[in-house]
Amino acid sequence: MGRSGPGDQNRGQFCDSIVISHNMPPPRTREGRDPRDRHRAPREEEAPEKWDFNCPDTRRLFEDAFFRDEDYIRQGSEECQKFWTFFERLQKFQNLKTARKEERDAQHPKHSIPALADLPCTYDARYRINLSILGPDPRGARGLGGRLPPERVSEFRRALLHYLDFGQKQSFGRLAKLQRERAALPIAQYANRILQTLKEHQVVVVAGDTGCGKSTQVPQYLLAAGFSHVACTQPRRIACVSLAKRVGFESLSQYGSQVGYQIRFESTCSAATKIVFLTVGLLLRQIQREPSLPQYQVLIVDEVHERHLHNDFLLGVLRRLLPQRPDLKVILMSATINISLFSSYFDKAPVVQVPGRLFPITVTYQPQEVEPTTSKLEKLDPRPFLRVLEAIDNKYPPEERGDLLVFLSGMAEISTVLEAAQTYASHTQRWVVLPLHSALSVADQDKVFDVAPAGVRKCILSTNIAETSVTIDGIRFVVDSGKVKEMSYDPQAKLQRLQEFWISQASAEQRKGRAGRTGPGVCFRLYAESDYDAFAPYPVPEIRRVALDALVLQMKSMSVGDPRTFPFIEPPPPASLETAILYLRDQGALDSSEALTPIGSLLAQLPVDVVIGKMLILGSTFHLAEPVLTIAAALSVQSPFTRSAQSSPECAAARRPLESDQGDPFTLFNVFNAWVQVKCERSGNSRKWCRRRGVEEHRLYEMANLRRQFKELLEDHGLLAGAQVPTPGDSYSRLWQRRERQALYQLKRQHEEGGGRRRKVLRLHEDQDGSSDEDRGSAAARGAGDSVDIQDVKFKLRHNLEQLQAAASSAAALPRDQTALLKLVLARGLYPQLAVPDPFNSGRKDSDQIFHTQAKQGTVLHPTCVFANSPEVLHTREQEAGDGEGGRDDKDKMSSRHQLLAFVSLLETNKPYLVNCVRVPALQSLLLFSRSLDTNGDCSRLVADGWLELQLAGSESAVGLLAAALRLRARWESVLDRQLARQARRPEEDEDDEAPVNRGEVAALSRELLRFTASKVPYSLRRLTGLEVQNLYVGPQTVTAAPSLPGLFGSSTLSPHPTKGGYAVTDFLTYNCLMSDADLYSDCLRTFWTCPHCGLHMPLTPLERMAHENTCPQAPRDGPPGAEDAAPEPPQKVSALQRPYHCEACQQDFLFTPTEVLRHRRQHV
Amino acid sequence: MCVVLGSEGAMPCLLILQMACETECRPLGVFKCQLCALTAPYSYVGQKPPDTQSVVLLEESYVMKDPFTSDKDRFLILGSRCSLCSRLVCVGPECSIFYSKRFCLPCVQKNIDAFPQEIRQDLEKRKVPSKRPASQPSSRT
Repeated sequence: MGRSGPGDQNRGQFCDSIVISHNMPPPRTREGRDPRDRHRAPREEEAPEKWDFNCPDTRRLFEDAFFRDEDYIRQGSEECQKFWTFFERLQKFQNLKTARKEERDAQHPKHSIPALADLPCTYDARYRINLSILGPDPRGARGLGGRLPPERVSEFRRALLHYLDFGQKQSFGRLAKLQRERAALPIAQYANRILQTLKEHQVVVVAGDTGCGKSTQVPQYLLAAGFSHVACTQPRRIACVSLAKRVGFESLSQYGSQVGYQIRFESTCSAATKIVFLTVGLLLRQIQREPSLPQYQVLIVDEVHERHLHNDFLLGVLRRLLPQRPDLKVILMSATINISLFSSYFDKAPVVQVPGRLFPITVTYQPQEVEPTTSKLEKLDPRPFLRVLEAIDNKYPPEERGDLLVFLSGMAEISTVLEAAQTYASHTQRWVVLPLHSALSVADQDKVFDVAPAGVRKCILSTNIAETSVTIDGIRFVVDSGKVKEMSYDPQAKLQRLQEFWISQASAEQRKGRAGRTGPGVCFRLYAESDYDAFAPYPVPEIRRVALDALVLQMKSMSVGDPRTFPFIEPPPPASLETAILYLRDQGALDSSEALTPIGSLLAQLPVDVVIGKMLILGSTFHLAEPVLTIAAALSVQSPFTRSAQSSPECAAARRPLESDQGDPFTLFNVFNAWVQVKCERSGNSRKWCRRRGVEEHRLYEMANLRRQFKELLEDHGLLAGAQVPTPGDSYSRLWQRRERQALYQLKRQHEEGGGRRRKVLRLHEDQDGSSDEDRGSAAARGAGDSVDIQDVKFKLRHNLEQLQAAASSAAALPRDQTALLKLVLARGLYPQLAVPDPFNSGRKDSDQIFHTQAKQGTVLHPTCVFANSPEVLHTREQEAGDGEGGRDDKDKMSSRHQLLAFVSLLETNKPYLVNCVRVPALQSLLLFSRSLDTNGDCSRLVADGWLELQLAGSESAVGLLAAALRLRARWESVLDRQLARQARRPEEDEDDEAPVNRGEVAALSRELLRFTASKVPYSLRRLTGLEVQNLYVGPQTVTAAPSLPGLFGSSTLSPHPTKGGYAVTDFLTYNCLMSDADLYSDCLRTFWTCPHCGLHMPLTPLERMAHENTCPQAPRDGPPGAEDAAPEPPQKVSALQRPYHCEACQQDFLFTPTEVLRHRRQHV
Repeated sequence: MCVVLGSEGAMPCLLILQMACETECRPLGVFKCQLCALTAPYSYVGQKPPDTQSVVLLEESYVMKDPFTSDKDRFLILGSRCSLCSRLVCVGPECSIFYSKRFCLPCVQKNIDAFPQEIRQDLEKRKVPSKRPASQPSSRT
């Protein structure tokens, strides 16, 4: 030992005055063995003014020596900073201690037991540390030995040692605590019983109330018992992520990957994964791919009592699967609600019931006097809620902690009570009032987990989201309004209703239970006990409340047989099933035998509404994939527009440039594209950009994710050419790109590490006098302050920003005709969801505009709808034809510009609202999309789908348009069919497949569709009255002489329509079946007519005229509508009876049937 | 931000890094404290934890990768054998102490006079809080 030589010579700037009486420990040996190390007293007074551990240069010298890359702590890391903080504290502490510490002699007798004999006789805290640091070798590293005084090095080493030991103690403490907590969970005592029961039975029901630990523990018990392929389904995506994290953490493999999750856009699974948490929807898709589910050994179905649609279906699928997979184990986990239902469904499966951990809860019924006839639209009265706040303030001293959770039926109710409660809170200074519902941003939702300052209680105003999905600790008081708003579905009107209902007894109990999780609690029920007794025992399962289209489609694609006989745990209402089947047939997803069509099987794989799926398919046909992808994604997520923006004029103004008067989908499209541009240009500002416009950025991220998923699906199905990732040419930029990605990964990783800790930041709520809007703003600002925008990082990792930007910027300059075509695609996708403006709208206030759908009269625009502020674009402005016989009002106005609204959904809350509307030209849309078109004799009167009447000015233009529409529809259908057929038989060998749909054909079709859409024909548009609908058709005719109209609409032979009368021309067009005041025989009247193309002049009925035009060889190919030849497929269009005919007299070539030849010849006579 | 790790050279991305870690950290077995029954998988036994060059342990320890951090070279010492009775004990203060060697608490109690005053005082102090029941388990997610 002894001083190291080099230290003397190169002492350097620090240590001139230091008396070197200290022993430098030998390099690379164990620290702290030598009691003489401690002889440091002499220098205690002289050092401080000279030696400064806080000096950055000094620190750097130490860091250079001890915190190298290969060392335990690295220079510049967070750990390094933590060390110096620790160091400072330790120094202070030791200064205090050393002052009163005196040297003790080692007077210990040697012990007889050898292990005890060589214990150091003088106590030193260092002997309590079971590790040692290998520092840099001072002889090897001259720099260190030279510039740092050895006793300082020793001091530093000692501190470092304590720091490491402290770290060990901390981590071990956490580990031990974790295990204690796990062992203390109620379910811990049932672990063996569960495993044992599972050994003996294929299905086990584990029933336990919230807080018993089943969701986190059961998977771990399985893991410990040696199972390795465990899937655990959750109804919600968030639960998958948080459970995977929690279970990973508890099973001490947080950063290994034994535990993973799989949700729509993310997966953390690898070959090492033993437990995967996934959504029910995803598991069903896995079953769709591999019906026997070979990848799993055990399947846990969690929250079965919630009775979600997919969960119910999954149970049915499993029940069928179990006999085929006797080795598959299933655990159903449920709250203690209706357990026998699940048990008996699985052949009396054994139940392991675990008691929850609930403290006693006092229930107080506080029924509200029914106010005398307050109208339904009136706001909720917040006073009963305030009275509870007051009562709590009066009865419980503020030192007794415990927060309040209020269950309200919906967002409007929350904001009413929020306003009142905040006023109250600003008086008393004893409450922090927070809203909680699903439309809040994640950051705002997270606020409910923060802790209120001392003497202040949280008052959380929540929807039923806090009943099961979100668990907040520290709740002592619960106020239960007894109400819930739920979607109900009207299968007849295809209408979703958000209605307020009384909750069920099960829900009431669940709500009550939230007060007793951390201690005894109180539950205030704002209804009478007799009300409670009258509640339904359980909530209505989802399968009884919602549209079943998607479910039926999925059932069909999984070939589980007829949905009507599927053994559901509780069957859905037969009417809902029938409506769904009919709807899918209407949409072309099922054929007449209810088998899946190619389009149907594709739709079944798109996780979206059928209408949006159709849009995607149609869009890809027309090479409009990029914009359609964005729009479809935008329409599939919740509206990104925040409510607060509605009241803020700045927000509205900032948003205005993004609004499109074409309709909401286009506004969403603009918002998304502008956002992508912002992200590319000056990332990080996108959050601010969104806030300024009242846009919830989270929804845009969802859109981006969904968009990508759609794109991949379309590519998978050959509907979209696979993406050629434009790789930057030179190696430099590739390198740069890779670096950037790695930097992003690093950021993401850092965030994930920090994530757990950062959340617990206590929140001092100083802005409680502020109104709710400020509150929101400050929350966002707080979020923005948090260094990294992790969403942004994830976004950039997941998406190819360049590609997105390219798509966005090309979209910004979407040409006019592309927009028109896009509208056609949207309209066809959305059909038959159409609404017609009320004829008197132009005389009404903006807010009073009404619209009618086929099934629902008097619907209104949703306030967020772009047309709500500019309804005039929907009015039929001009009377351009001029000949509108005096025009009584808009009702029978002749115009070429009537419009309809195509809408995404119809939602009834207090009023029936049209949500997400696009305006489309009425006549053209109806001609192109109607499932049923009925005409009168001269085709000037048309009725679309039995509810909208179109009266055209002239029979000629009417016939022309109709004929054009027929051709366009046939061609569009054929293009679509071939494209879908191609994807249906799409194995690998299709590379050299002759392109079945060539680009030219599509281009020609789009050109003609556009021309058709642009055609200007004055007409009137009217919704038929109920009486008119009843007497619409002439009915079956006794005179069944079919007019000889060869070639009118392709080769179809006309047959009398059995119910409507007239003649069925195609499956949707019925000619001359409309009852009218005019002569019944008008269709037989021939008038002289000259063909504009071939000059043919002869008396013809309208139908014959059409027939001629359809086949007139002189008609120019791309002529105006009504005079086109269906050139692409002439063979199909030609009637079997037609033959080429060369007329000697006029030296022209025709395609004529024998009768036409005769007729023609007669001309020349 | 590519991290160069010893001889393995540059990793293309952190995902691979993570995977590498998983394979390395495969547990050897399950450590179980013979006094408090604490159990945890360990991945190393010895005095020189893997991936760490600058720290040595002063006893033959059962070590796992620190589960509370993603740093792959962070380790956590779970426990070791008592140098008197050879019982496998965890490092928790209720089960053992380290004073230049590992001693399980029963052995310390038996030989309390062999230990310096500080240790004795420490154990006295410790007895009081250790009687407190296991802390109220906090939230479950």
